[in-house]
Amino acid sequence: MSGRDYLGEFEHIIVLALLRLEDRAYGVTVRQEIEFRTHREVSIGAVYATLNRLETKGLVKSHCGDPTPERGGRSKRFFRVTAKGVSAVNRAQRALYSMTEGLDLARSYS
Amino acid sequence: MTSQPQIVQPPRIAVRLVNLFSSDKEAETIEGDLQEEYTHIASKRGAPFARRWYWRQTAKTIAHLAGTAYRTAPWSTTSAIAGGFLLRRLAARFVEPAIFAVIDRYQIFEHHFSTYKFLASTGIDIGHILVFLFVGCVVALGAKGREMVATMMLGFIFGAMAVVAVLVMVSRTGDDAFLWRLTWYVVDSFAVVIGGGIIRTRRSTATVRSAVA
Repeated sequence: MSGRDYLGEFEHIIVLALLRLEDRAYGVTVRQEIEFRTHREVSIGAVYATLNRLETKGLVKSHCGDPTPERGGRSKRFFRVTAKGVSAVNRAQRALYSMTEGLDLARSYS
Repeated sequence: MTSQPQIVQPPRIAVRLVNLFSSDKEAETIEGDLQEEYTHIASKRGAPFARRWYWRQTAKTIAHLAGTAYRTAPWSTTSAIAGGFLLRRLAARFVEPAIFAVIDRYQIFEHHFSTYKFLASTGIDIGHILVFLFVGCVVALGAKGREMVATMMLGFIFGAMAVVAVLVMVSRTGDDAFLWRLTWYVVDSFAVVIGGGIIRTRRSTATVRSAVA
């Protein structure tokens, strides 16, 4: 496993959003999903900067949809997680679980 | 039957800014995503709220795109900026000699004194703006795909240097008139960015044309 396959916090969130959205994952739905679940305002630029980075690492793949009128005739770019991406998110989840296992965070910092 | 929300146009300047900072590949999807959400928000919460949302998204998006553009090629961007800095130093030397050569060639001092006064004062300042515009264009040509980041950084460096130089002059001489010079220096810095915008727009238009063809 190379160091490049490690997921940063926002990369981790983005991959999880893609997995939740399945075949409906494009800029708008990814941004809204993250805002809805994390209650933090995310810019579309941040979403695409991260998605492009993940695509370069081979963790996600994208393809263009058809142009639609509500988008001013512009097409959507759909994303999906690759097998390598699923492995990376599993590793990140296991690492988080391993690091937090046995910790009582509420008590430690209250 | 469900009614579709009426499509409303987002702020044009904001759209233009996003277009300037995004790559040709990204521009269509980012603008489409913003347009889709803007139309939805405008129909639910009104146009003023949607406009504020659009501008907030634009500012954050530009910051991310600029940061990413620089991080993907830091050395070539820095080289283009350094090259622009040196080019400005070289080209600025020729502004005054060129203007006075024109004055001498057409004997403007003898026949059109008011024109001479304009050329020898404001004309030199305009000459410098054109040099900065030229430098912005050259830097943008060298920093393909990162035109706006490179020219904005160079413009910021020139602007910061001008502010420091003027403040030093004012503190040494006590002459507030130097502060007025800042106006020209700020315009110079903007000219660099405008040069970058011109090249970026031309490249973007050329890409669209070739895609259509």
